[in-house]
Amino acid sequence: MEQIIQVTILGIGLGGVFALMGSGLSLVFGVMRIVNLAHPSLIIAGAFTAYWGFRLWGIDPLVMLPVATLLLAAIGVLLYKIFFERNAKSATYSEMTVLLTFAIAMIIEGALGAMFSNTQRVTSPSYATDAFFLGDIFIPKGQLYAGMVSMLIIGLLAAFLKYSRLGYAIRATTQNRDAAALLGVNVNMVGLMSFAIGIGLAGAAGALTSFVFSFFPAKHWEWIAVLMSLVVMGGMGSIVGTVVASFGLSIVAAFVGAYVGSTWSTMTFFLALFLVLLFRPQGLFGEKPELL
Amino acid sequence: MTEFLKVEGITAGYGDGPAILDGAHMTVQQGKVHCIIGPNGAGKSTLMKVIAGMLPVRKGEVIFKGENLKGLRPDQTLRRGIAFVPQERALFPKMTVRENLRMGGYILNNDRERDRRIDEIFDRFPILRERADQHAGTMSGGQQQTLAMARTLILRPEIVMFDEPSLGLAPMIVREMFAIVRMIAEQGVTVLLVEQNAVMGLKHADWGVVLDLGRTLFEGPAQEVLHDPRIQELYLGGRKVA
Repeated sequence: MEQIIQVTILGIGLGGVFALMGSGLSLVFGVMRIVNLAHPSLIIAGAFTAYWGFRLWGIDPLVMLPVATLLLAAIGVLLYKIFFERNAKSATYSEMTVLLTFAIAMIIEGALGAMFSNTQRVTSPSYATDAFFLGDIFIPKGQLYAGMVSMLIIGLLAAFLKYSRLGYAIRATTQNRDAAALLGVNVNMVGLMSFAIGIGLAGAAGALTSFVFSFFPAKHWEWIAVLMSLVVMGGMGSIVGTVVASFGLSIVAAFVGAYVGSTWSTMTFFLALFLVLLFRPQGLFGEKPELL
Repeated sequence: MTEFLKVEGITAGYGDGPAILDGAHMTVQQGKVHCIIGPNGAGKSTLMKVIAGMLPVRKGEVIFKGENLKGLRPDQTLRRGIAFVPQERALFPKMTVRENLRMGGYILNNDRERDRRIDEIFDRFPILRERADQHAGTMSGGQQQTLAMARTLILRPEIVMFDEPSLGLAPMIVREMFAIVRMIAEQGVTVLLVEQNAVMGLKHADWGVVLDLGRTLFEGPAQEVLHDPRIQELYLGGRKVA
């Protein structure tokens, strides 16, 4: 029994971080129909931001989080202006963005590798290796903090989308771009803002990731499939769906890791991706099949 | 006297594609219901998109109260008082009825005023108040169309354009839609309708405009258009109407 609780707790801890990683991806797909394969590489860039802040100046990664968020949001604005804005009217936009973001991912990986080398790194504030104990059950502080901050950020994102004027515009544009434009929404500005927010969230996720997982520039290849499975399972563009899928799959993955073998843990995500694509291609929360 | 809205010699099409409209014209009188009819591909919806600023004008002019609307974007025509409900899918299905109405007042900068106007809409359409917190996509087709039409009124427009409001609705619900159209017109709002069902549309309109192959064949009082032999020949395959 204790082991089951223990494994569940570890799964929840991972789920929180994956939820934040996936929600930015989901937002960008929902509004812009951009399948952003570069999202995990931008998360790594956020992780490096937090890592160097700690390594050079001893700044806590949680304090570096807003810095990484803003830095990555600014990079998001640049990427959008350079690559995505001019092509938005193309009929094959989504398909094209797969290739485009694949290329961007490789460029970012190469740039990070050239600057910081491909060594494994992890930000190591004191809590990263510490834990709370409840009897025999331990709760790693790093994962706990990362999970809690993730939930806080996702909660703020949800409130922003639900109540703010820009949030209304973002949701409206996601659901019906033409109708939003007809009601006076500047859909191009909404696209830019949601892209910046989505990439900013990648930066925030990176700062948290930096003390939860060890990372190196090429690590994003491992994450892209995991994140895609979360977003597809959540229903492509549904943030709630992505969050639910993140927790669900992370907990299952933790159990697979504990009882089947840790090398099989990641398989959970791919297996779930296959099953969802076969039996419910619209995802858990999506209403119609539109994968790409 | 300047005319209310005048459409003159409009040529327009999608992207670099062929001209869908090729010299269409129509006159619009304030406070009247205008019905645009014509066979498939005549350019009815395209004409509305041009007036709303969704499609650029290649040739010709749209003059609204003395101002040329050429080159204006949809949000700019909206600010001048022209609202457009495109065919089907005009709503945000996963937003509530109230949120949809709030989007209708998106360009208002005063939330209190917007919510007051939403309250007025609720008074006029009690069914929408009942469904205020329900997702728009879960309502019946007629209720969704009612919401789409009601939503345009938040901005107190001078002209509303409805592209086939009766599409996919049961005959009894269609009558309700036309009752709403009539009610809107009685408030002094000018209405432009596109209707696939020409007889139905003309019966509820004051003015009829007949389009074919991107051109205006003729226009006139709806009753006259309805009984004009030319439309029976063109549009109804020679069958006797009404």
